[in-house]
Amino acid sequence: MTKLTRRAALAGAAALTLPRPGLAQADQRPAITIAVQKVVNSNTLEMAREQSNVGSRVFGCYAEMLIDTDWIGDLSLRPGLATAWRRIDDRTVELDLRQGVRFHNGDVMTAEDVVFSFGPERLWGAGGQQAGATLFSSSAAGAAGKAPPPEVPAIARRTYPGFERIEIVRPGVVRFVNRTPDVTLEGRIARNVGMIGSQRGFAEAESWLAWARKPIGTGPYRVAEFRPDRDLVLEAFDEYWGGRPPLRRIRFVEVPEAASRVNGLLSGEYDFACDVNPDQIVDIERNLRFEVVGSTITNHRLTVFDTNHPQLRDARVRRAFTHSIDRQVIVDSLWAGRTAVPKGLQWEYYGEMFQADWSVPAFDPAEARRLLGEAGYRGDPIPYRLLNNYYTNQTATAQILVEMWRQVGLNVQIDMKENWGQIFDRNSPRAVRDWSNSAVFSDPVSSISASFGPQGQSQQVGESRNEEFNRLSVELETSTDRPRRRVVFRRMLEIAEREDPLYTVLHQTATFTAKRKDIRWRAAQAFLMDFRASNWGV
Amino acid sequence: MLRYLATRLLRALLTIAMVVTFAFVVLRLSGDPALLIMSVDAPPEAVEAFRTAWGLDESLWVQYVKYFNAILHGDLGRSMRDGRDAIQLVAERIPATLALTLPALAIKIGIGVPAGIYAALHRNSLTDRVVMTLAVMGFTVPSFVLGLLLVLVFAVQLGWLPSGGDGTWRHAVLPVVTLGVGGAAVLARFTRSAMLEVLGQPYIRTASAKGVPWHAVVRGHALPNAAIPTVTIVGFMVGSLIAGAVVVESVFSWPGVGRLLVVAVANRDLAVVQCILLLVAITMVSSNFVVDLLYGALDPRLRQSRAGGAG
Repeated sequence: MTKLTRRAALAGAAALTLPRPGLAQADQRPAITIAVQKVVNSNTLEMAREQSNVGSRVFGCYAEMLIDTDWIGDLSLRPGLATAWRRIDDRTVELDLRQGVRFHNGDVMTAEDVVFSFGPERLWGAGGQQAGATLFSSSAAGAAGKAPPPEVPAIARRTYPGFERIEIVRPGVVRFVNRTPDVTLEGRIARNVGMIGSQRGFAEAESWLAWARKPIGTGPYRVAEFRPDRDLVLEAFDEYWGGRPPLRRIRFVEVPEAASRVNGLLSGEYDFACDVNPDQIVDIERNLRFEVVGSTITNHRLTVFDTNHPQLRDARVRRAFTHSIDRQVIVDSLWAGRTAVPKGLQWEYYGEMFQADWSVPAFDPAEARRLLGEAGYRGDPIPYRLLNNYYTNQTATAQILVEMWRQVGLNVQIDMKENWGQIFDRNSPRAVRDWSNSAVFSDPVSSISASFGPQGQSQQVGESRNEEFNRLSVELETSTDRPRRRVVFRRMLEIAEREDPLYTVLHQTATFTAKRKDIRWRAAQAFLMDFRASNWGV
Repeated sequence: MLRYLATRLLRALLTIAMVVTFAFVVLRLSGDPALLIMSVDAPPEAVEAFRTAWGLDESLWVQYVKYFNAILHGDLGRSMRDGRDAIQLVAERIPATLALTLPALAIKIGIGVPAGIYAALHRNSLTDRVVMTLAVMGFTVPSFVLGLLLVLVFAVQLGWLPSGGDGTWRHAVLPVVTLGVGGAAVLARFTRSAMLEVLGQPYIRTASAKGVPWHAVVRGHALPNAAIPTVTIVGFMVGSLIAGAVVVESVFSWPGVGRLLVVAVANRDLAVVQCILLLVAITMVSSNFVVDLLYGALDPRLRQSRAGGAG
């Protein structure tokens, strides 16, 4: 055993008191505060659990995927924690891992960490990835146990429906293997569920919940403190592979009231205020020190139908719904023209899958009345379950819709609800509800199949079922014949938006962030906020 | 007196039991916590497992008996969302709420009562009218409007105070003033009305006619008799110390019990909501119990009738 002498102790103490240039120098980088409505919905930072718009805003600061998406640029896939990838066959993608990437706990990222991140410990539970197999960690969503709570395997199955395994080819090279052919594997790997976490960090966490509240990722900022329902503090991770982060600290603070967020920005307490309403933009920009950035994002607002409702079983009634909406009026009156009516549930960045000649059902009240007459609709009430502004302008949009529907003879009655549980409650008749759909990668599988296919939420909660649509959805997910996939997608749009409407698209979503004008920062075409060096300047 | 106390205590316990029962039933009829906590992404078998684990699959009656029994044993349940004891979650937030409501209570009493007395003693004067106009404005303006107005003036325009959040005493100023102004206005009006009623009583005229100095009449006869309605209102204000700032906490992003209640209700986090409501009920009932006792101290007739056995 080393003997500690008095001389050694004195020397040590002296050394501690001497100035150390590297440590004593104050960090001159700015610290910013961002006011948000919610930091996360589930009170966890684990993206395999937190599948929400608000959660996707913060995760990019602390976590990364193997394949990144250029959310600020052209939305293309680009190297992330993998520097390159290639197709081995229709079911397999091989990825070269970036060398020298460190986790927030100091560990170097290895292929084992990647395998862990797609493995049962983090995603699938003890039951593995087979459908229906889940392990319930605890009744308190992982408060005590180490296994993921049951919704995590459900989300994983939805994200990677054909996942078979991930295997190490050699150090620094892994293979993502699907059970079925899938041309969208790269896009799926780029989804935030596939964030790469530290295996040791997970092992050392006291519980799944402890991990989920302080995940050890590779992002430019590490989680310093997370106080559920209050704030999230991130600190610069100077060993970030992409270079020294430009900010010393980022604090996301929950400010539920939109007016309070804007007031806090104007008074100088916040540097950014998120989820600004369109009608606040003019007032904010009247102050020359501030500006509002952001625009349309890869998310559309929808009205969704429960085809089991007695009045909605007849597709002609639902078609009447779709023809009686003047979508441009909503865009102009509630969004000041800052968003657009899209070409159905698709985005241009789908590339060759984009159906440029497709459009939402035309505003045609006469056609709507004709359809209602043919269907024999007698004006029976149709409930419209509505949340109070979960989405921007949601309530005002609903009121306009109800009046438009009333104009053609549809008797739609708003039924205000407090939460999603009440929206989906099956104990009373459901008919119409609101939703939004994102395209998290550049293929219709990421939207129309993910939301309305057999594994999609709509069918999972029992709202609708169209056998032909389901068959096509499976084909879209598994086919590698690109021309055929385009035909399949076209037919799915025809069914879901025209023939047997499962939903109707209202408008593209736009999100607006108010900020200090002296900060050079660009908003992404998604909810995600990028605070890497490439997107910051003062 | 003992019989009086025992009766009051029994009533208090009955009130708490009724509040607990009402909260229990209403919460369970207003949404399925399993869907909310588990999220709609959870597969049906997972939702069912959640219900089983938390006893939500049992009949309402069985759940109620178990819940009531647990309360009697000091167990207020665990948060379904957080996994921790509900009382622990609530206790963490109480200091933040009291940091607003206690100073606000001091403002209410410190401004409202003297203003009401002054206005009554100067009835129909310009001062009376100004005080009462301000009082009417104070309690008719909703707290969220007043809060935003104060923020616009003192945070946005003048930059003197933070617009929201917590951390320093400066963060508490605007929410405390917002809470205090409305309560002070209410107290001013009640105190004025009570004083005017008392000042019109024959014994006040008698005291004045006997040559007792006016300030002594006010202090010795008017104030004690006018105190009963004021004490009643103050009692309610004390009772709402724990959860009386729900709106203000939301407007100012203050991390107190009020915001916890909003989030817990939205997520149907049953144990947390029930725990908060139970604490509110206990506080309110205790406060009213103390007010009842104070009535006796303030009014000798009540004291004598209780001593004589009247309930």
